[in-house]
Amino acid sequence: MSGVAFAGCGATTAVGCGMDALRSALRANASGLRACARFDLPRFQSCVVGAASQMDTGSDDPAWNLADSALHEAREQAREALAAIPTERVGLVLSTTKANIEAMERLAEHRSCSEAARRHLRGDYLACDLAAAHGARGPVQCVSVACASGLLAIQQGAKLIQRGAADAVLVVGVDHLSAFVVAGFSALKAIDPNGCRPFDRDRRGLSPGEAGAAIVLVSAAKMSRPGITIHGWGGSNDANHLTGPSRDGSGLAQAMRRALDSARLRPEEIDYVNAHGTGTSYNDAMESTALRAVFGECCPPVSGSKGMLGHTLGAAGVVETILCVLAMQERLLPGTPRLNVAAEGVPSDCLKQPRPVARLRHVLKLNTGFGGVNGALILSHG
Amino acid sequence: MDKIVITAASRVTEASVPKARLGARFGRMDLASQLALLAVESLGIDFDGRPRDRIGICLGAWAGSLSADLEFWGGRDAAGGPSPILFTYTLPSAAIGEIAIRHRLTGANLCLVGKDTVLAEASDLLRRAEVEACLCVWCNVVTPALAEMIQAPPSAHASALFLQRGGEGLRELQENDRDIETLCAAFCAQNSTS
Repeated sequence: MSGVAFAGCGATTAVGCGMDALRSALRANASGLRACARFDLPRFQSCVVGAASQMDTGSDDPAWNLADSALHEAREQAREALAAIPTERVGLVLSTTKANIEAMERLAEHRSCSEAARRHLRGDYLACDLAAAHGARGPVQCVSVACASGLLAIQQGAKLIQRGAADAVLVVGVDHLSAFVVAGFSALKAIDPNGCRPFDRDRRGLSPGEAGAAIVLVSAAKMSRPGITIHGWGGSNDANHLTGPSRDGSGLAQAMRRALDSARLRPEEIDYVNAHGTGTSYNDAMESTALRAVFGECCPPVSGSKGMLGHTLGAAGVVETILCVLAMQERLLPGTPRLNVAAEGVPSDCLKQPRPVARLRHVLKLNTGFGGVNGALILSHG
Repeated sequence: MDKIVITAASRVTEASVPKARLGARFGRMDLASQLALLAVESLGIDFDGRPRDRIGICLGAWAGSLSADLEFWGGRDAAGGPSPILFTYTLPSAAIGEIAIRHRLTGANLCLVGKDTVLAEASDLLRRAEVEACLCVWCNVVTPALAEMIQAPPSAHASALFLQRGGEGLRELQENDRDIETLCAAFCAQNSTS
């Protein structure tokens, strides 16, 4: 697989605006989950969410605000690499599940809604407008594969570079907190009233979150130092249930094996796994089973990040991959914020707290989604 | 590298939905999933004897799941809250799950929202040998209620192609084959005149 490298990242999340805030949260194992007055209504299962509270909560275009903020930061970080690439060779891949669903809420309730906000109800238009605003005149795509969208968008970005359609790709993941999504997960009874606790014995569900997260991918050949690269990926479908994961974890295990095959790595070469870890009973149990199927009793350290950020849906794969990049740069295995007592059956080295390591060479990132979709991505350092 | 061959093509409209006999589950689906599933069914592919773990699904959804979104949100004030079943269809990729479940296909997936460009991604999956065959589905559903909101004409149709690496079929996929809808319309027109 020809090299595709990370040249820059940006993130606006529940732990703050910018990569420094995310880095601090990683080091402190902090959680950004808070009670939010907007969702403190009987129709919602919980008001504990991962809100990017520094953003303008009155905006009619929150998806744009989150994505735009993250893209500015990622491009700034990647300024040197992007400077040498003509804008028509820069693509953009957007990962989202609901784009600017705020506009639908407003239009349905006859509240004010700008033309731009209405336009961004469509993910493909949001992608085109972000590309135009951020100097990406190459190919533009909008990937929407439930909660696996982020990992698939990163794969799409890498593929565009590998097949010569672009020299750099801005991958941006975004989903904003909305009454629509919180009402939907409330209807499914999928929210933990006290905030999510991935892999915990007492976990009771997920916590909705929001994020804008952006990664600049470039051909590794264009980097002065290769740094962290995409080493392989794999995808699969459970073909089992629309909203629930397969109990035996075979689909996710298949995606992991495909990723290992494409990276030409053996399971024992993986140094750390960043799990999907929603905090729902079935997801975490399935993921533990899948990890056992691939790694046996020698599973590498595992942790999950949704206790820090909430479940950010289409942004999840992108922002959690950024956390993996930070972990590799910082040589720090991330903890699992809000995990207290590990549930029976979870991998034995499920990290509650961050742990320094001498080196993180190969990291495996996992995401799964409604519709049975599974994604696995391997990042490698140097 | 093996050539990529189109082995079957189909196109369905909303008129086909009431006549479909695909079980009780079908009746609970949103219109986009129903059309996508019908388009795949109309291909007449016998998946037995094919490696189901090596068959991918690539879906293109012109308006994402906005029609289902609007229907779900329309029920927000209903007694007992909005429908949890409808919520599961408020994802553009919901049809992938329905197709995978019905035909037990466990290969790689992709869903793109917007223009009909998914054919290039399906052929990329095949060229990389990530899959041996791929269902390529294009779905365009804009209900009248949504049409007003997004200022687009109402529509409800889906097209599907089955692509595979090597073998025999209708014809080889060409470099200049850009979109599923045009290809399917051409194959269906050919069938109706022959």
